[in-house]
Amino acid sequence: MIDRVWLIPALPLAAFLVNGLFGRRWLGRWTGPLAASALGLSAVGATLVFLEVLGGRAQSVVTLYRWIGVGDFRVDVAALVDPLSSVMLLVVTVVSFLVHVYAIGYMEHDHGFPRFFTWLPLFVFAMLVLVLADNYLLMFVGWEGVGLCSYLLIGFWFERNEPAMAAKKAFVMNRIGDWGFTIGMIATFLVFGSMNFREVFEHVDIASQGVLVLICLAFFLGAAGKSAQLPLHSWLPDAMEGPTPVSALIHAATMVTAGVYLVARSTPLFQAAGPALAIVGAVGALTAIFAATIALVQFDIKRVMAYSTVSQLGYMFLALGVGAPVAAIFHLATHAFFKALLFLGSGSVIHGVGGEQDMRKMGGLRRKMPVTYWTMLLAGGALAALPPLAGFWSKDEIVGAAFTNGYPLLWAVGVFTGALTAFYVTRALWMTFHGQPRDRHLYDHAHESPAIMTVPLVALAVGSAGVGVALGFPPEGGFIHRFLAPVVEVAGHTAPEHVAVEYGPILALAAVSVVAGLVGIGVGLSMYARHRPDPSAVARAAGGLYTVLVNRYWVDELYDHRFVDAAKAFAGATWAFDIHVIDGLVDRLGWVATGAASLLRRTQTGVVGNYALSVMAGLLAVLALYGGLATGVIGR
Amino acid sequence: MTAVPLPAFIAVSTLLFFIGAAGVLMKRNAVVILMCVELMLNAANLALVAFSRRYGSVDERGSVFVVFVFVIAAAEVAVGLAIVLSAYRNRPTVDVDELHQLKG
Amino acid sequence: MDVVGLLIFGALAIGIVGAGLAVVFVDRITAAALLMAFTFLCNAGMFLLLGAETIAAFQVLIYVGAITVLILYGVMFTPQGDRPYALFFQKQTPLAGFLVAAVAAPVLALALTFRDPGIAREGGGDLQPLITSIFGDYAVPFELASVLLLAAMVGAIVLVKRDEEDAK
Repeated sequence: MIDRVWLIPALPLAAFLVNGLFGRRWLGRWTGPLAASALGLSAVGATLVFLEVLGGRAQSVVTLYRWIGVGDFRVDVAALVDPLSSVMLLVVTVVSFLVHVYAIGYMEHDHGFPRFFTWLPLFVFAMLVLVLADNYLLMFVGWEGVGLCSYLLIGFWFERNEPAMAAKKAFVMNRIGDWGFTIGMIATFLVFGSMNFREVFEHVDIASQGVLVLICLAFFLGAAGKSAQLPLHSWLPDAMEGPTPVSALIHAATMVTAGVYLVARSTPLFQAAGPALAIVGAVGALTAIFAATIALVQFDIKRVMAYSTVSQLGYMFLALGVGAPVAAIFHLATHAFFKALLFLGSGSVIHGVGGEQDMRKMGGLRRKMPVTYWTMLLAGGALAALPPLAGFWSKDEIVGAAFTNGYPLLWAVGVFTGALTAFYVTRALWMTFHGQPRDRHLYDHAHESPAIMTVPLVALAVGSAGVGVALGFPPEGGFIHRFLAPVVEVAGHTAPEHVAVEYGPILALAAVSVVAGLVGIGVGLSMYARHRPDPSAVARAAGGLYTVLVNRYWVDELYDHRFVDAAKAFAGATWAFDIHVIDGLVDRLGWVATGAASLLRRTQTGVVGNYALSVMAGLLAVLALYGGLATGVIGR
Repeated sequence: MTAVPLPAFIAVSTLLFFIGAAGVLMKRNAVVILMCVELMLNAANLALVAFSRRYGSVDERGSVFVVFVFVIAAAEVAVGLAIVLSAYRNRPTVDVDELHQLKG
Repeated sequence: MDVVGLLIFGALAIGIVGAGLAVVFVDRITAAALLMAFTFLCNAGMFLLLGAETIAAFQVLIYVGAITVLILYGVMFTPQGDRPYALFFQKQTPLAGFLVAAVAAPVLALALTFRDPGIAREGGGDLQPLITSIFGDYAVPFELASVLLLAAMVGAIVLVKRDEEDAK
């Protein structure tokens, strides 16, 4: 199967083409099952590839064809199949498949159904290209492709203003990151003479540390844009304007993880550029706590999940920064499952209450939507890192690695953010499913979602529960660690996490994290179930702090004022220049011509006698000239 | 005959020519203008014949030219009068000062 | 003999210039047309004086004969009704007069400086060489002239043709 690995992205590409060309007119509702089946087959293929890699084919390059060959610049369309890419392959295809199935039910009544199932498989194709690429340039193709599909899908309901603006914002902020990626790519080529991963990683020693730091920071800028890290994070909450399946797939499980994948893949580069890694870790940690604080006070259920995603992505970068790339990928995998589940569950709730997203109007829904409730409860527990659910294993490893590798401040931030995470997820779940219904009308009409939506929820729930144990047990020595080890070990650099595993400190750290999580849950329950203390009272007491959080630190307003207004002013200036100077010049030339013509046409009196007169005058002139020449008055 | 000196003939021709030119530029009636043009042509003929007979060669080339001038003049009068008549049919005037529809 | 020639020349010259001036300055068109004919006649006399008899004959035939008649036809077909003859000259007359005078003076001065070769030829006998030249060396221009006359004739007819509706 590895030799036919290109089939895996080819199937969703085919689904895109078929649905795109024939969907609207002929296929109609069949576009959904068609795309889902393509993804299902891809998932099967990914599984086969995974098993083969597991079975011993550690690293293979499958080349399709030579794309660019100009002098020294050689880039192939080729796939690098190794443990890292096979894990990503599996995660992407399985979650995509489940989301496709779910979306068939969710988007049932939407008149843009065929268009949805044209863009969604295209996205998966681009993501798979990104993951499979064996060089930075091909990866960038997929990188841009997912950016484009994100734009198309966020702005899916473009007839409304908010989705259109959100899509634009997402794309523009992504673009800023892409600029960083491009600089990184070009610098890589200039320094190493190639963009191919293996060729670059084998010759890391060529470059000085300063240059490597610059390259890594450039790539990290790209990762920050794509994965919504500070300061390029604000597009992700706005992206919730898109349909919920899109939020689940793109903005939880796959596209936003591309940045993490990029840094993980470039581990050899980053390991040799210490300051860059430090920045990665710091930004990750800062983003994690920043987003978690905002999630505390949001009322839209999807926004809570969006900020949660930003926060969890911060955790992944934190892991990369402290030298635990395996933990980052582990968390990426577990997060894909439980965050996708949380989003799809939110979508189920929204679907069940007829479109309402404000949690203040919900309440007591667990009696009306049991399947949704129990699966979301499980996912929420995973997010809060409760053992033995998936999130516990992966997040704990991150936080533990921070401490073990000598970053106590980052460890503290991670633990505190964990408490915050537990709090806000408890708050969200309680407000939605427990307590008294706050809107009677809403409650009465609420209903559980159809099977086509709830079955994927259950499937993801199984993943959220079991994946952690399956991959990560025992800690530091589990399956995933051994699996990914060869990838992160490069030519003599041993990843710091590969010291002898001591369970004592690990258990102690784990206990601290679990306690923090329980504290968060406890406070949440106390405030929302028993109103001790009452949330509104807390909000009033917090006063200024609360206002800051509710306004999301005014980041959007800042950007709007500083950058957008500046850009608009500049545009206005150039427009004025164009209108007045350039057009003015052209207009004036026109006036000159018209003016001259007005003057000259006075000679056209229409009276023939005048014309004869001018002939006589010309004769006089000729005579004068001749006379002048003859008598020598005029020289020559 | 020892004759009238050549410059005399040319002077007469010149005078007639410029009288005709003045008429063309000053008179209002289109037919009168045509008449003045004929005067100018005659002046030219006179000058041609004078030079031809005084300086001219055996094969009378100057006179040949004069014959052609006759032809041209005749054709021109015919067509010119046709035009004047057409204009007169349009508006019953031959006053050139009033025929300025091609203004501008 | 000299004197007679000079006298004849003088009379003809006065005739030409005088009649020419009259054509320009006379009010009545018919008078102007007939005076023009008189100019042609005097011109024919000049030709005879120079000894170009054939040309003189042609002058009388074509100019005095055909062209004068044409002009008179033109005068006849364009009656002007009662025109106030104060509107006698075009508006550009002063400038025109100045220009003509300005151009005429130098040309006249130049004309008076021509050298007279002094040889006078026998009058007459110019028909034979004239015809030989026309039908010999200048046959092509002759044919072209015929074509020109044909074209002028057709053109004149077309120009004055009435459209069918106007004929009603």
